[in-house]
Amino acid sequence: MHRRMFATAAAVVLLAAGCTTGGTDTPQQDAAGPAELLFWNTGSDEQAASLQVAADRYKETHPDVTVKVQAISWDDGHAKVLTAATSKSGPDIISGGLSWGIEFGELGGMIDLNAYDIAQAKQQTRPELWNSITSTDGAVYGIPMDMVLYVFYYRPDLLEAAGVTKAPATWEELFAAVEKVKASGVVTPLVEEWGTFEWLPWFNYLKQAGGALYSDDCSQVTISSDQAVLATTTWADQYRKYGVPKATVDVGNGLAKGEYAMAIGASYLAGGFDAAHPELKGKWQTAPLPVGPAGAGSFVGGKIVGAMAHTRFPQAAADFVTWLYTDEAVEILQREVFTRGGELYISPRPELLDKANASDNLRQTLKATLNTVTGPPNCKGWETSGSEVSKRLQAVVNDGKDPKAALDEAATIMQDNLR
Amino acid sequence: MTAVITKPATPARNHRARQVARWRRAVPGYFMLLPFVALFCGFLVWPLLNSLYFAFTDFNGVKPPGWVGGENFARLWTEDTRFRKALLNSLIYVACAVTLSTAASLALALAFRGTSWQDRIMRTIFFLPSVTSTIAVMLIWRWIFSGERFGLANTVLSWFGAEPVSWLSTPRWTIPLLVLMAVWGGCGYGMVIFVSGLNAIPEEFYEAARLDGATLWQQFRYITLPQLGPVTTYVVITGLIGAFQVFEAVYIVFRAVSSVGGVQDSALMLVPYLYDMGFTRFQLGYASAIAWTLFLIIFVISMIQLRFTRAVREL
Repeated sequence: MHRRMFATAAAVVLLAAGCTTGGTDTPQQDAAGPAELLFWNTGSDEQAASLQVAADRYKETHPDVTVKVQAISWDDGHAKVLTAATSKSGPDIISGGLSWGIEFGELGGMIDLNAYDIAQAKQQTRPELWNSITSTDGAVYGIPMDMVLYVFYYRPDLLEAAGVTKAPATWEELFAAVEKVKASGVVTPLVEEWGTFEWLPWFNYLKQAGGALYSDDCSQVTISSDQAVLATTTWADQYRKYGVPKATVDVGNGLAKGEYAMAIGASYLAGGFDAAHPELKGKWQTAPLPVGPAGAGSFVGGKIVGAMAHTRFPQAAADFVTWLYTDEAVEILQREVFTRGGELYISPRPELLDKANASDNLRQTLKATLNTVTGPPNCKGWETSGSEVSKRLQAVVNDGKDPKAALDEAATIMQDNLR
Repeated sequence: MTAVITKPATPARNHRARQVARWRRAVPGYFMLLPFVALFCGFLVWPLLNSLYFAFTDFNGVKPPGWVGGENFARLWTEDTRFRKALLNSLIYVACAVTLSTAASLALALAFRGTSWQDRIMRTIFFLPSVTSTIAVMLIWRWIFSGERFGLANTVLSWFGAEPVSWLSTPRWTIPLLVLMAVWGGCGYGMVIFVSGLNAIPEEFYEAARLDGATLWQQFRYITLPQLGPVTTYVVITGLIGAFQVFEAVYIVFRAVSSVGGVQDSALMLVPYLYDMGFTRFQLGYASAIAWTLFLIIFVISMIQLRFTRAVREL
């Protein structure tokens, strides 16, 4: 009996102690002494090493600030940053998906950089991109660090062999090209990469059809419009009629072997084609995505970089974050990211695209694409809704669900999450 | 070892002396237990109690938790269609995986129960998946069922002129593939347990049965199976607990094609759903409610299984 009472009392004490977990203090001024900042960069080891070179250069002009860059993977980066925010320990600066700033910031895990000097960064960034990282209440918890654009990759020789003389510029030309290339013997004429079979590639069709996810002021969900139905039908036809694989594929390998003739994929792929597949060198070209009835349009992604709320050095962290926008930092990152990982670094400052390690053809494609991009919505609940929308879209392809009905379901979920 | 010697005395003094002696003997033991108790409390009891508390809060991981009472549980059972999907998927998966895995384990144990080197080698081979890194195994499964032509499954299909199949992106294949992975990975462990159970059955039982003219099937049906009852219960219950907690297979293999839960949530199970709500959507309070619901489900099913086994044994 006594033992049972003791156990119950111990449990109550432990439970009560558990209730005291948590705190709200947010440092506003830097602690005294030299600042040592830990920067968790979501991405490859090569990217982290490139950032470390930039950080070392920063230290030359800021001797009191030491930045140590560590790589965390995309697979578990989100959970790691959440754990850091929960335990109020770990990195001072993090980089991650474009929406992470709003997500972690609204939880109280990141600093609103409006309190620091980010005016120039805002001025230098494309408004569509800046809008995506700005919370609906105006807070900016992370500023863009790089950009990823959708690019149309193709093998001109395979297209020519099928009687297609130029890169398809419209939806009609795209699907006509798919049929011709298929008839010429290419097993899989077109593939999608970057968010394959998720909402990302569908978003391109949505923009090209003239649709939108939300109204401009985020007050209404607009996903079940006629334009969205057209976009969904066209996107689903890729898989149902034209044999686009639903699983992620190795674009470089497929293009090199001639198994794929065209690919809609992320800009970061371009840097690795020639290095990983020397036989592909000079055989591939790029173009902006084919346009739809409403014209051109595509999704822009990338990373944000911001300071964690628990950092003891918010001013130093914010200074370093904004320094990444300077000509000097961008030049280092463009060079180092390409040298170390064969990747293309696209700065959020579009005017510096000319200095990127890319062919003229790719640079022209990126410049043309940049003029018509839209970032992820900054409306409340989108992060929760995104995967739900994907599931409804997948049902259109797999179950033959009516696109309008699927979009109506998605709209209901988005509207609920918007409240 | 030191002996405690006491002089003959009154019963009360004797009792007290015995108590002191018992304490002296016990104290070093308790001291030796302390590191374990500290770790057990710090890394199991404390997080468990915290999670129970969080299940009744709106904890998001960063802001202090706010008490919401039973709201999380009410939402889980009455509103959350995704939870229902995860629960249904889990029940189908658990039923198939545990049944097939147990049957395969028993079949393997019967086939390789001997002490010959051939049987030992076969047992080692079948046991290997149990001691192999789960992550590595799952990455290999992902490669085997890759939708591209280089995936092993599609390569085999291509030998027969069949078109490649998008295994991981086709919802109707999802649970069969998960069950296949579970049976392949789990039957070796069950086999070892069954082999020890089989070897504990007295040979005299079979000799008597043979003298009575029992066939092999009758020996299996009326001697082997009943004698393996407790072992089978153990294999089934541990298999059931493991199957309800499936995570790596869903997270690693099906994450290749879609967000957590695979295409159209066809691979969504309770633990991946819990992870998704907690670490992707920051609803750690709600995720804790899912965790405790999962505990209750496993507890109830295990109790039913134990009662059922006991009832069958008493028939």
